[in-house]
Order: sequence, then structure tokens, then C-alpha cells
Amino acid sequence: MKILGISAHYHDSAAALVIDGLPVCAVQEERLSRRKNDAAFPLQAIEWCLEHACVEPESLDAVVFYERPMLKFDRVLTCALRAFPRSWRAFPAAMKNSLGEKVWVRGIISSHLGVPGQKILFTEHHQAHAAAAFLAAPTHHAAILTTDGVGEWATLTNGEGKRFENGKTNITLHREVRFPHSLGMLYSTFTAYLGFPVNEGEYKLMGLAGYGRPTMIDKVRKLIQRTDDGAFQLDLNYFDFHTTAKSSYSSRFVELFGPPRNSYDPIDLETSDGQRFADCAASVQRVLEDTLVDIARALHQATGLPDLCLGGGVALNGVANARLLAESGFERVFVPPAPGDAGCALGAALYADRIHFGNPDREVPDHPFLGPSIDDKELARLAGEDGHAFDDCDDNALIEQTADDLAADRIVGWIDGALEFGPRALGHRSILAAPHSAAMRDRINREIKYREEFRPFAPVVPIEVADHYFELPPGGKRLARFMSGVFRVRPEWRSRLEAVTHVDGTARLQALERAMAPRLYDLLLAYERRSGIPVLLNTSFNLAGDPIVARVVEGYSTFLRSGIDVLVAGSTRLVKREALPTKTKEAVA
Amino acid sequence: MLAPIHRWVWRDQERRVQKLLRFGQTETDGGHDILRAAEMTPDPLLRRLYLKHAIDEYRHGEMFRRRGTDLLHTLSSRSEPAFQANWLAPGGHGLDDLNVEDESDKELLAFLHLSEKAAASRFTVYRDVLRSDEPTCAIFEEILHDEVFHMSYTLTQLARISPQHHRQHIWRARLSRLWKGYLRIATALAGVMGTLFLILQYFILLPPFALLAKRAARREQPGWIPISPDRNGSLNRQY
Repeated sequence: MKILGISAHYHDSAAALVIDGLPVCAVQEERLSRRKNDAAFPLQAIEWCLEHACVEPESLDAVVFYERPMLKFDRVLTCALRAFPRSWRAFPAAMKNSLGEKVWVRGIISSHLGVPGQKILFTEHHQAHAAAAFLAAPTHHAAILTTDGVGEWATLTNGEGKRFENGKTNITLHREVRFPHSLGMLYSTFTAYLGFPVNEGEYKLMGLAGYGRPTMIDKVRKLIQRTDDGAFQLDLNYFDFHTTAKSSYSSRFVELFGPPRNSYDPIDLETSDGQRFADCAASVQRVLEDTLVDIARALHQATGLPDLCLGGGVALNGVANARLLAESGFERVFVPPAPGDAGCALGAALYADRIHFGNPDREVPDHPFLGPSIDDKELARLAGEDGHAFDDCDDNALIEQTADDLAADRIVGWIDGALEFGPRALGHRSILAAPHSAAMRDRINREIKYREEFRPFAPVVPIEVADHYFELPPGGKRLARFMSGVFRVRPEWRSRLEAVTHVDGTARLQALERAMAPRLYDLLLAYERRSGIPVLLNTSFNLAGDPIVARVVEGYSTFLRSGIDVLVAGSTRLVKREALPTKTKEAVA
Repeated sequence: MLAPIHRWVWRDQERRVQKLLRFGQTETDGGHDILRAAEMTPDPLLRRLYLKHAIDEYRHGEMFRRRGTDLLHTLSSRSEPAFQANWLAPGGHGLDDLNVEDESDKELLAFLHLSEKAAASRFTVYRDVLRSDEPTCAIFEEILHDEVFHMSYTLTQLARISPQHHRQHIWRARLSRLWKGYLRIATALAGVMGTLFLILQYFILLPPFALLAKRAARREQPGWIPISPDRNGSLNRQY
């Protein structure tokens, strides 16, 4: 059975193809269109998936969209009505936005792919999140918690997933919290208040939180109150996101927290305003964590299950995930590599396969490498055409040379195999560097990523020695598999891991199993032979404002216009002339 | 001829900031598109030239952004200026609605040549009306210098890859710009009409439904809402 899953129209659209119960491929539209967070209908992603699997659209058994468009429209219209007459400005924009394309999904899919309407199915948004979290996790019976900004109406759901011995699968969502009461929207509102772009700047808020003290918790708690049944509600007097698309927070919010940050002003932590913003970030981060921990703890008590599957955009908050693991009572927390909306494409397809069609459960590959693969010889061709000297060598030599580069403090662009599905670079499209000094962190921020100083970089470490360098609780390695948890760096290693240790002594590490990315794993060991530490700085292979590179040519152009010293793709290694010591330069010339 | 109008537009300090910041964004967007062209072209020489061009655009974007930010800090009050002078403005120097993947190098070079030419003539006017603001004037001066190179390489390369028909491509690109200009105006007009129509509907048709919706909202209890088992069922419905 061939099932295509699609997510689109809000942010980060994607397509995924499931054949006979297994995910064959999945890719975000932004990686192919090269438009960051591309929300357009993912035609390129769909075309790539079908072409990759040699599937004609007519032979698809179903195409599953990740939410119910009319139910979403119902929410948009109802919110406009509830806010009457304050919503008079937002109403035309909301209607044009919805009626232009978003409610005609069945027709759009049908016309693009030529599949009949009855083959087009719709999951609920949070069903897709739940399926992406549970059906891709190596567990038989788990509690499920999904939380994001908003789907149709739901903003947070809890439930259970179970695989039976006869191969049947069941996912039941028990309860939900509805819009406008939303943890994701609370966090996004602070993201906007702090001058970061919503749906993209939430990472920045999390990074900034490390520099602040949660001195404004009481103020944040005025915005979000706990209800008697253990859920929460927002005090809507402080928000505007439910009445207008123009602003997330109201004047009362500004009265409470002070003037918002202008997005063009840098955050200077030496100033009182800079510290206020950091404290704001720390406070909302703490409240988010506390709320999630309480909800998860109640879910654990109600289900008695040891495993929790976490889905939705909020599951990208690694600090909160680590606290859930430590304090909610669950022994293991599973977060898929793409817990956000892009991952819903895969979740929707898996949900249709297991639940709607009742197909037997199959073990889903436990890795994120479902995207386009590279042509091993492409870098050699490009470099040759442009007159650059390059090395073409076998794996062992390449890894040894790259380890030498890293040990010589060169920054390496690393392209290997199939592209990751999800927002994290987990070893196939990474920028790698020595993790030891703050100077390296500053150099990458300054010359490559062009981003704020307060944002940390992540380390990658072999799973077997991860707890030698990091304080991992039981279950921590699993959470670190896809960089989903933030853990403390052991104090004795912090001075040797300065580039990847955040100001609060933590790191969002990736604990790498050899089977997942063997070449990167071998590189870690080769680097250990030179430095004594098998840890590298691993950040996504892109520059500010760009999506992660997919093809070699994109890595090549990124390499040429940034401070990356070495580019490795397939069997080819290309070194920038200025990165070479003088002697080598002469030899190359 | 339009210099007095431009002088009036740029005179307002806040509007100046907004325009510079918007230029910064437009140049960066243009850089993205040209970078994409560099990644798509099979021609190695074009790839190198596009890449240099893209890097220039990114640099211009950064220069505009920095200058805009510097001026922003000098503003005493930060109210919105009365007239932004941009609602019908074309993507201008950026490649706005150009879909790089669907264009051949010939079409792209012709389009780029005209865009650069148009931008150069506009930036010349801006430079001239901003003589009193030396740092901003210097930015336009520096960018104009790059634009000359961009105009020249796009034309040279177009003549190289299409020696017989390069003039035709330029004319086609001119017509395409005209058509896009018309579409932009038509879309803007349609948008205004649509908005007016929807606002009328909002105030005429919606009030009774709004009353019902508000009444229903008051009855809603905060907190958890149970999900009925049938919600976990059929995938055939959109509602």
C-alpha cells in the first residue's frame, strides 16, 4: 500500500511517502525550494518523493493531508466572530487567506496529482503529531502528549498509543486544550515581544533564557493560570493573537513587561533592557517547563506507563524535554526528529496506514535520513569546473584528513548520504568544528552563522561515552539521539568544551550511534586520537536565513560565500586556499 | 522629473529608516534568488558570476540594514510615518515574483539586466536627493558602482550565450516587466475591492452570528475537553 502524507499552508510544509507500512522518503519543501520555512503546497517535495520511490500518482492508495481544513476554517471564523467588532481589520485578511487556497485542499491535491477525491484523506492536526511521535518510536505502549501553537482547535492533547501482538495499532487521544489557550502561542507571543520572528525565533528565546534569571515568573503566571482540572488557560486580556494577525500581545502585556524589543536593536546583556529581555525569556521558559511537567506527571499517574511520546512544535524545546524526563515520572521520553508540522506529513501517512487501513504494524527505521541523497562525484565536478584543487580519496583517508583539519581548528562543511528530515542537522548536513574554545564559537557565529552571540552550538559525541562528558539521566541517551534534550556538561569538561557549553553549563547534545551515521562516528573517533576528546561541535549546514543545504551544489555555494574552510561531500574534500598553511598553498599552486 | 517627490519622501527621517530597512530586505531577497540561479545553472562561468552578484546583493542588504538601524537609534520618537510610499512599489531591485527554477539563463540574464538598470537609475536619484545625508549617500554611491558591473556582465553574458537573439530576450523581458507591473496594480486593486467587500459583509451580515458566537464562548469551560471516540475515527471528512 502506497500512502503519501502532506503538510502545508502554515509553516514548514513537507511530503512523506509510506510504502507497505515503512517510511520510504520524506522531505521539507524548504530544502528543495530553498525558501526558509516554505509554507507553500509542497509540490517539489511531493514530486521528489514520488520520483525517488518510482511511484506514479495514480498508483497511490491514499493521499493524506495533516489536518481538517474546514475545521480550521471554523476556528478562524469563530474567533473573528467572538472578537466582533475588534476583528474588523483582521477579518478580511483572514477570509482572503483561508478562502484563497487553504479550504480547497481536496481540489488542490486532486488537480495537482490527478488522484480521485475519495482517495484523499484528512487526519486531525494533533492526530498527525501523535502518530509521528508514537508510530516512529521504538515502544509498544506509551502515553502521548502533543503540544504546539494550534492545529484546528486543539493546542494540546494527551492520549495513549498501543501496538498489539496481532500487529494492530491503536492511538487514542483522550483530552485536549483548545485555542486560544495554548502553550505554543504563549511562547510565540514572548518570541514576538522579544523581537524575534515567530515560528523561527523560538530557539533564540530558549538560548536567551540561559542568560536570564526567572525573576518575572509571577508576571508570567498572570498570563497563564492553571485550571482546577490540571490544564491551563490564558488571560486573553494580555494577548491579541486571537483577534488580529498583526500583533500577538496587547497593551496590557506591554504595561506588565515594559516596552518590547525592536527587532533591529541588538540584545546587549550589559544594559538593563538587555537583562530584562533575558529575564523575560528565562521566566516564560520556566513557566512553560513547569506547566508541561505538571501535565505530563498527571498523564503518567493516569496511565501508569513508563514511556512518553512527545509531539508538536513545543517538543523542540530541549530544556523542557529534559525536565519532563527528569521530573514527570516517565522513564523514557521519545521525541521524533521532526516533531513540528513538517513531521505531520509522515505522521498523517503512518496514521492512515496503521489506523485507517488497519495495516499491521512494522518497525519504523529509527533515523531521520529520509531526504534526497547526494551524488558522490558532484563536488569534484564543481570544483574542477571552477579551477579549485580537491582531493578525491577513500573513506579512511578522507576521515583522517578531515580529523586533521578539525584538529587544526579548520571549520568543516560535512555532506554525507541522505538529507535529514526535520530541523536538526544530525550528521549528514553539518558544519563541524573543534569544540574546545569560545573563540571557535565566536568565529562560527561571526563568519558563518551570522547570528546572535547568546545562541549556543550543539556537540555530537559517540553514544557509548556520552555520559563521560555530559550528565545524562536514565533515558537521556534516547532523548539525545535526535538532539531533543538539553543536559549539563560535566564540570570537569566544561573548560575543554567551551564552544558547545551554554552559559548555564548545559548543551543540546547528539549521542551518536555508529549505525546511524557511520562516517561521522568514525570521524569522532579519529578526532579523539588527535585531541583526546571524541566530541565535535555540530551545527546545521546553512547560513542565517537559508534552509539547511540539500544538494552538494548548495553546500558548495555556502562554502564559497562563508568562512567554512573545508568542504567534504561524498569522497571529495575541498580546502579553501586561505585556510591552507603557506607551504601547502604553494604545493596546490 | 520626480526628484521633488523623492526629496519629499526621503525628507521624513522615519520614512527614511523604513525605506532603508526595506531596501535591506529586498537586496537580501534578491541575493537569495541570484544564489539560487548560481546553484541551478549548468554554465560554470555564469555560476561564478551569479555567485559574485549574490554576494554583492547580500552585502548591499547588510549595508542598508546597518544604516537603517543606525538612523533608527537617532529617532526621538518612533511613530509610523503617515505615508510609506510602498504599497504599490515593485519588488524593485529584488527579483520579487521571479521563479528562478522556471527561467532559462537567457531569460534570467535579460531580467537581471533590466532590473539592475532600473535600480541603478532609481538609486542615482536617491543618491542625488540624499546629498545632505553623507553616510546614506555614500552607500548608494558604493552600490551604484556594483550595479554598473551587474548591468554590464548580465548583458555581456546574454550576448555570449545567445549571440543572435539577445536583443529579443531584452525586449521580451521588458514586456514581461510591464505585464508584471500591470498584474501588481490589478492585484492591489482587487485586494482593496475584496477588503471593502468583506468589511461590508462583516458589518452587515455578521453581527447576529457574532452575538451567538459570543454567547457560546461564555458557556465554554476552560481546561481539558474530552475528545469523543468518534473523533478518532474516519479520515474522509474535512470537518
